[in-house]
Amino acid sequence: MKKFLLGNEAIAFGAMESNIQVATGYPGTPSSEIIETIARFSEGDIHIEWSVNEKVAVEVAIGAAYAGVRSLATMKHVGVNVALDPIMTSAYTGTVGGLVIVSADDPGMHSSQNEQDNRIIAKFAKIFCLEPFDAKSCKEFTKEAFEISEKFQIPVMLRTTTRVSHAKGVVEIGRYKIYPRKAKFIKNPEKFVVLPRNARKLHRLLNEKLSEMEEYSNNSKLNSMHLRGEIGVITSGVSRTYVREVIEEIGDISILEIGVSHPLPTKLIQKFIDHCDKILIVEELEPYIEEHIKTFCNKEIYGKDLIPREGELNIDIVKNAIYSIIDKKYEKKTRKIEISLPPRPPILCAGCPHRALFYALKKVTKEKIHCGDIGCYTLGIEQKTIDTCLCMGASITKAAGIFHAKVKEKAISIIGDSTFFHSGITGLLNAVYNKANITVIILDNRTTAMTGHQPHPGVGVTATFEESTRVDIEKICRACGVKFVKKVDPFDLERTTKILKEAINFDGVSVVISDQPCALIARKKGLWKNPYYVDKDRCKGWLCQECRACIALLGCPAIVWEKGKAKIIEEICSGCGVCAQICPNDAIKVRE
Amino acid sequence: MKVNILITGVGGQGILLASNVLGKAAIYSNYNVVGVETHGMAQRGGSVVSHIRIGEVYSPLIPEGEADFLLAFEPLEALRQINFLNEESTVILNSRPIYPPSLKGEIWKYPKIEKITKALEFCNIISLDATDLAKKAGNIRTLNVVMLGVLSSCKNFPLPEESLKKAITETVPKKTIDINLKAFHLGKNHTYTL
Repeated sequence: MKKFLLGNEAIAFGAMESNIQVATGYPGTPSSEIIETIARFSEGDIHIEWSVNEKVAVEVAIGAAYAGVRSLATMKHVGVNVALDPIMTSAYTGTVGGLVIVSADDPGMHSSQNEQDNRIIAKFAKIFCLEPFDAKSCKEFTKEAFEISEKFQIPVMLRTTTRVSHAKGVVEIGRYKIYPRKAKFIKNPEKFVVLPRNARKLHRLLNEKLSEMEEYSNNSKLNSMHLRGEIGVITSGVSRTYVREVIEEIGDISILEIGVSHPLPTKLIQKFIDHCDKILIVEELEPYIEEHIKTFCNKEIYGKDLIPREGELNIDIVKNAIYSIIDKKYEKKTRKIEISLPPRPPILCAGCPHRALFYALKKVTKEKIHCGDIGCYTLGIEQKTIDTCLCMGASITKAAGIFHAKVKEKAISIIGDSTFFHSGITGLLNAVYNKANITVIILDNRTTAMTGHQPHPGVGVTATFEESTRVDIEKICRACGVKFVKKVDPFDLERTTKILKEAINFDGVSVVISDQPCALIARKKGLWKNPYYVDKDRCKGWLCQECRACIALLGCPAIVWEKGKAKIIEEICSGCGVCAQICPNDAIKVRE
Repeated sequence: MKVNILITGVGGQGILLASNVLGKAAIYSNYNVVGVETHGMAQRGGSVVSHIRIGEVYSPLIPEGEADFLLAFEPLEALRQINFLNEESTVILNSRPIYPPSLKGEIWKYPKIEKITKALEFCNIISLDATDLAKKAGNIRTLNVVMLGVLSSCKNFPLPEESLKKAITETVPKKTIDINLKAFHLGKNHTYTL
């Protein structure tokens, strides 16, 4: 059956056709659809989980692989950093069942804080790295990944990028049914217990394994070589598609497409180089292939001098680079926008509880530093209530550091519920133990909103929507030793402001939990209330004494400025009523 | 054959569904098809772009200046994609604006619709109030299918109506098939002036 699938969906089907029995992951764009697709389509005995974080996800997958079954762990590129500890040493122990770790990288940073190139991590960890390039290859490469993981008893990194994970294409789908094997953990301390005396031996074995892996790489069907003219292009990942299209147009250029990015197929590359006089390496982000080739080749090599080291590539960039090595000029006239356009960046939704909380927080005191975290609430930068954003869980620890540096202003941590479970708890524990004086605001919207509403331990359902224990954030905070823990309804501005004041004046670690579901979930569950409207007679428009608080301070997309007065788009108003509470002229009223 | 279709609008307007329908319809007509979507951060009410390429192509991204069709669900967003257009391109423009919310307290002026259509005049423009047609079909959310209807009425669009209708039937929620097919016909039979 031919289907129009996302790269991520194709990976999920590839994993199911490989009979995986354990699938784990932590949500992160562009990786999230893999676990969701397996949860939706799998038939048979397969354990599917949203793990609490990426380290946990990889460790659960390793456990399953030790027991001889095939397992998959999915995450975005920066999630691999969190999981690096188990990944590094699992290369030493090796696996029994196949273990595939998906690293979905994000060149261009569509939805990420950096654009690190994780091929380098695979090399660092001495594990395989396979790079599919379109939806169809996502399925093929996943199946091959399980085969070679089992054959060489080593984890395989399946490295995609946004334009592979979220690219769509025609994919042939077979069965969804899983044929499980019987799991059995066979004790073998010399392999599974990395005491120094074992680890020393294991490291030597791993290095020996690496040369066998390279032999596989040299002969792998995932690489493809076409020898034509004396000018050659070497490429990998989604760039394969750009190069193919450009070369089809120009013709007579040799091409080497690399599918096994670690270990690189050195012998194959050597053969290609021997055929060519001039070589261009087209790869996104780091000069990973280029640096490898430059260690053994003195021919004319072009790479990062013609191809940018930041951001994504596209056909136009690749065409420019190829034309410049064949001494042709490539000119394209593109149209430009001649008038200035209002920007339309992503913003907090209408009725988002974060907006209300931020409004109250801004009211409390100006003398504070807002340490942000990773989630929708980073968009609070528009309301000037986010001063830092680094990585998952770092809001609490950064705030503690700012306090210990003896900065005069109070440091406030702003962290979401899913992020708190991911890596906030350790920071909170550390802050209490080491006597920090900070306020932590946990924005509990009962979901992992930014990545598409995946559940977490505070929701009480699993990835497959089975009921599970609901873990109470308030109790966790108390168990960590926090003496001040209070819950607020952020839509009640008066009480929220009062509690925030108390928390900020408290000496020690204080926690305020903002308790309102995500506006999108609230709509789905039918929790939206009657919309509000603006009484045109009462709205003072440009003459408003509060500088048009509703539109200027709140930034709600349901409130627009029309003919010099505020107007509410009732179709998208959730009825949260926050704007009505701040209007100095009592001009905003609920539609009865 | 190679046909490049760019779809743009605001997060929540049903752009992903429109590109899914086109992809499925291409498969039903035995064409190769690739594309790429906006997910994650970019969806929170921000500008959304979807690329669909039918025929002998590999790259999921349309090269600059090479869109054959631009389906713009919102006028401002059409203009933002001008770098993908050429003199031969056809722009199907829903003339109903969605005003961007104020940012950091700044109130932006939305350009006049005439100014937007004038800037796009170098290509073929089909401008219509597709939102209104969607309402007439029975649900404002059928806007995406109205736009597909208009696309199917274009002479150089390669997919037959039957493939599109089959894809619509298999993609939209079951209860809404009838109003979606109605929306498709309203779009297809819409008479427009350049």
